Amino acid sequence: MRELLTSIRRTPYQSLAVFSSLLLTLFLSIVLIFCINFLYGLLGYVESRPQVSIYFQNQVSESDILKVKEELLASGKVESVKYVSKNEAYDTYKQLNKDNPLLLEMVSPEILPASLEIFATKPTYLPDIANFLNSVSGKDEVNFQKNIVDKLLSLTSVVRVVSVSFFAFLMITTIIILMTITHFKVALKRDEIELMRLMGASAGYVRKPFLDESMFLGFVSSTVVYLVFIGIVLLGNPALESYLRGIQTLFVDVYGYKLVVWPISIPYGIGLYALLTFFGVGMAAVSTYFATHKYLFVERT
Amino acid sequence: MIQFENVSKLYPLGNAALSDVSFAIEDNEFVFLVGTSGAGKTSILNLILGDLYPTSGSVIVDDRDISNKKLVKFEELRKHMGVIFQDFKVLQDKNVFENIALGLRISNKPLTVIKEKVSEALHLVGLSDKEFYFPLQLSAGELQRVAIARALCGDRHIILADEPTGNLDPKTTWDIMKIFKKVEHERTIIIATHNTDIVNSMKKRVLVLKQGKLIKDMQKGGYEL
Repeated sequence: MRELLTSIRRTPYQSLAVFSSLLLTLFLSIVLIFCINFLYGLLGYVESRPQVSIYFQNQVSESDILKVKEELLASGKVESVKYVSKNEAYDTYKQLNKDNPLLLEMVSPEILPASLEIFATKPTYLPDIANFLNSVSGKDEVNFQKNIVDKLLSLTSVVRVVSVSFFAFLMITTIIILMTITHFKVALKRDEIELMRLMGASAGYVRKPFLDESMFLGFVSSTVVYLVFIGIVLLGNPALESYLRGIQTLFVDVYGYKLVVWPISIPYGIGLYALLTFFGVGMAAVSTYFATHKYLFVERT
Repeated sequence: MIQFENVSKLYPLGNAALSDVSFAIEDNEFVFLVGTSGAGKTSILNLILGDLYPTSGSVIVDDRDISNKKLVKFEELRKHMGVIFQDFKVLQDKNVFENIALGLRISNKPLTVIKEKVSEALHLVGLSDKEFYFPLQLSAGELQRVAIARALCGDRHIILADEPTGNLDPKTTWDIMKIFKKVEHERTIIIATHNTDIVNSMKKRVLVLKQGKLIKDMQKGGYEL
């Protein structure tokens, strides 16, 4: 560690340049990764909402509503239908507005409509189901979310493609910049490297201090970026919470495991940090490997 | 033991550095390589070091044929060799102790061993009081002593010196040669030199090279061209 810090102290500008490049790249990377995860979480949330909902007028009886439910199930186009009574709707309303007594006072179970929440077996059946529901007598309103899902899906796809391309570009550019900076450092020690090789030092032995230093800088920069990112998220938390009102959690499915991305859970936070450190240390190591390669493998004649 | 068997070395443009050179150097032998510039002295040292490969013939060091670059791990071989250069090649950003310890660190010796061996080497070359000096604080003779101490430190039993006294005054040259004499019974020493005085005075084996050919091999010889 002493040698590592001495090396950083003896070439402060090169070390600062490596650190700054990694800082910028890793910060953009963590923002991209989080945005993609957040969007996927949002998409999953919207997809998990009822795809079609029908709200009934107050005078429609529960038995009439259940008849509609049976007709829907008999059509073969519906996977499940959930009946939400007036009381259940009121309970949900109370839960959502528990912090606002004024709103709770203004509403009673009688004024909230009963509804059916319908999930189709295939998205292509949604227009047919919506048409059928629009023809039901006593319907108050039909909510059809296909457009929202489609838009969010296409937005997520675009963001994913753009992010992956940008991320790859960022990685390659950073590796090239780090390689160039490390080249300077290696060139400064060319005599020492030549001497060490003549005295029997292996390529790994010569490369080790350069690798140690760059990986150390990779680790430090990813830690700094992570702490800054968490700080920004904590600062922006109230604004985001008010924007996402009603959404308790967002999660992404990782090989069957539901990883909560919002609010940032401990497993997700650890995963994000691990990924960031992997990229930071990995980029530093790869660039150093290639930067030192030229000086270590001079073809003898 | 070091053995050259019909070794020739042609450089890519076709000029011959060595032509059909054969000789054998026993363990703990002291040998001078003499000849005019371009005669092939440095090429012989580089072939022993594995920094060059012969175009034809065999170079055998410690019973290993090092002519085939694919079959030899030069790192291991070089850990038994010490190299001394005319321009010292002492690292400017390291102090005397760190310079001498370089070879031992490469051989992954523990710190206690490094301290002990460096101390012995410093005593041998007469620099015990300058352990923590930096190269800029030393004279040319002292720098060469540091380089010699570095080459001798550890298990390095073959010492290759390329014009080790080329940049030194006569008195310092003799001081350096005295150090070589102190260790000649423990190590194989090969010195490429133009210095007629030391070759004539020391009466050691002399290999005379001319235009890449070994023209004379004299036991207790003198400087001849």
